[in-house]
This record gives sequence, structure tokens and C-alpha cells, in this order.
Amino acid sequence: MTLTSITAKPAPEETQTCWSCGSMRASHFCEACGKVQPPAPVDYFTFFGLPRKLNIDVALLDRDFYELSRKLHPDLNARAGSQEQEWSLQQSSRLNDAHRVLKDPIKRTEYLLKLEGVELEEQSKSATEQARVTGQLKKQVVPPDLLEEVFELNMQLEELRAQKKMGEDDPALIEEIGRQKLELEEKHEALLEELKKYWKGWDALIDRQLARQAVSQEERKQVRDKMVDLLNRRNYIRNLVRDVSEVLGD
Amino acid sequence: MSYSDKVIDHYNNPRNVGSMDKSSNDVGTGLVGAPECGDVMKLQIRVNRDTNVIEEAKFKTFGCGSAIASSSLATEWVKGKTVDEALTIKNMDIVKELSLPPVKIHCSVLAEDAIRSAIADWKKKQETTKPVAVEAK
Repeated sequence: MTLTSITAKPAPEETQTCWSCGSMRASHFCEACGKVQPPAPVDYFTFFGLPRKLNIDVALLDRDFYELSRKLHPDLNARAGSQEQEWSLQQSSRLNDAHRVLKDPIKRTEYLLKLEGVELEEQSKSATEQARVTGQLKKQVVPPDLLEEVFELNMQLEELRAQKKMGEDDPALIEEIGRQKLELEEKHEALLEELKKYWKGWDALIDRQLARQAVSQEERKQVRDKMVDLLNRRNYIRNLVRDVSEVLGD
Repeated sequence: MSYSDKVIDHYNNPRNVGSMDKSSNDVGTGLVGAPECGDVMKLQIRVNRDTNVIEEAKFKTFGCGSAIASSSLATEWVKGKTVDEALTIKNMDIVKELSLPPVKIHCSVLAEDAIRSAIADWKKKQETTKPVAVEAK
């Protein structure tokens, strides 16, 4: 059964005794008496008993999710003591968060990077602060040619929006934008493929670590930086695809 | 989250929207982006070569209200300043003026980047177009 696979391998530091019967317990339930346990402050991977790897069997994740949902559901623990009910409520809410993040390839990658200390939200700010101090021109996190492309396409979109407001469509412009949309979608696909390549690289490092082999900070950083770069570029492409679709009305 | 009155004002009546000739020698262009949200901002300045004063500034931003307001404010602030004075504008000045919430700080960062990048572009043009001293034979 899948649940045992989760409950049977808690991270060592999380292992405590059951509050109810005193037996050794796993993450969410007591192995011996099955009571819901207070939520442990663990990351989403650990919550599902997973190593911090990016290739995840989503079907298996879903199965574990539904299984745990049923067992943790506050309604099921309605007649339990109010403390247990409170815990199952907290565990359920954490379960939902963990599942939502881990099942989505992008959210999963962003989450892992955050665990690894990457401040995705802050990268632009810290680069600016560095530029201010050194007086050097800030290195843009996104390649200039992509910015150029994004800007131009946005100009065209604006033109098309204005035309539509006036009730006139320029078929040539629509065709041109439609062509660019296809290109963008291809680019988006290519970025995701490339990202998966680095997932593999990352997972290989984790495997080595689990096998107690040395992994240098430099190796981690290399893969991490590549993934950050891909996610940054993807943000632009995703926004463009969204805006183009909106303007073209499909 | 709601926008402050100043943001709404700049958003509804953006100052200095437009563009100038990118290839002109006295125009500096900065094109910058915020990867956090996918915004892109272009800011241009026209600088008086004798006084180094920024006489005209234009912008065009594709992004949220805060990004538009930040760049609109940036063009207002750089106008009339020398390039060196303009370089002292910090993103936190913009945050304070527009009362931007923490999640929108990167919009002000973008505006500061745009100013710096436009000035750097202008400076680069001045170096390459400087009259070359003729060496005495």
C-alpha cells in the first residue's frame, strides 16, 4: 500500500513518539495506533516521503495524495478530541499545498530552488544593488535579444488592440502575430524540454548524495543557475503567449 | 492589495509616453526586464551634450500598474537633471513616492535599471563619437 511507503520512511530527525500511545511514529500517523500526529515542520518533498528530486512519478503522487486526503480529512476525525481534529485540519491543508506545488513541473522546480536558497523574487533587486555599488552596468538577468523580441511583439499587440477597438482588423498583422504565437509556443516547449534535461542533472547529484558520494557546491550551483535562467526566460514567453491569445481571441 | 492614489494617477495619465530615435547620437536607450513577472520597460533620454542635462525623457512599459507608474515617475524625475544627478535616483525613492507594497518593489528596481541602462547607452555613444585627436606628426 502506498501509505506505508510514505509512513515507513520518515526523515530520521522527524521521528518521534506518538503523543497517544508512546510508540515510535512516522510523519503523519502513528504506526501502532494510527492516530493523527501533530504536523511536523518539514518541506513538501519530505511531507510525501520523497527525496528532493525533480523527476516525480505524478501518478504515484496523486495516489498518495488521495490516500492521505481520506485519512487526514477533518470530518473523519470529527469525533476525535479537538486537538486531533485541529491537527488533521493543519495536516490536510499542508497536504493540499504540498500536492499542488509538487504536481506542477514549474511550481515544483521553483519550490526546490527556493529550498536551495535561490530568491527568485529578489534576483533583480540584488543585481541592481550590486550594480549601484560597483558603478558597473547591471547584468540583465534576461538576454537582451529576448527583451527586444518581447518589446516588439507587445508593440504589435497594442496596435492590434487599438485596431480592434476601432472595429477594423488588419489581416496581415493578425497573420503575423499568429505566426509569432506558434513560434512562441514552440519556444515554450523547447524551454520545458531543456528544463527537464537539468532535472536529470539535478537528480543525478541527489542520487550521488544519497549514495554518500561527495557533491561539490559548485556542481549544485551550476545546475541551479541553469534552471533559474530557464525559468526567467519562461516567464516572458508565458506572458506573451497569454497576451497574444487574448488579443487574437483564441 | 490596492494601488495608491499616486500609482493610479500615473497609470491613468502616464507622463512622457513615447519614443525617440534610438540611433540619434544624443539619445540614450535602456531596455530592461523584470524576470519575476515578465514585465518589459523601455526608457529613453535626450541629453544636451554641452551641459550633460537630460532635456527630454520618454518611456514605454508593458507591465502592471506599478511598473507603468514607476517608469512614468522616473521620466519626470530625470528631466532637468544632469546624467550624474540622475544616477543617484534609487529604487527606494520611487517606492516611497508611490507607496509601493513589498511585492511591487521589483517594479521600482526595473525603473532604476532603465535609467542606468539609458545613461550607459548614451555614455557609450559619446565615447565612440568623440572627435579623435589628430596626432601631430
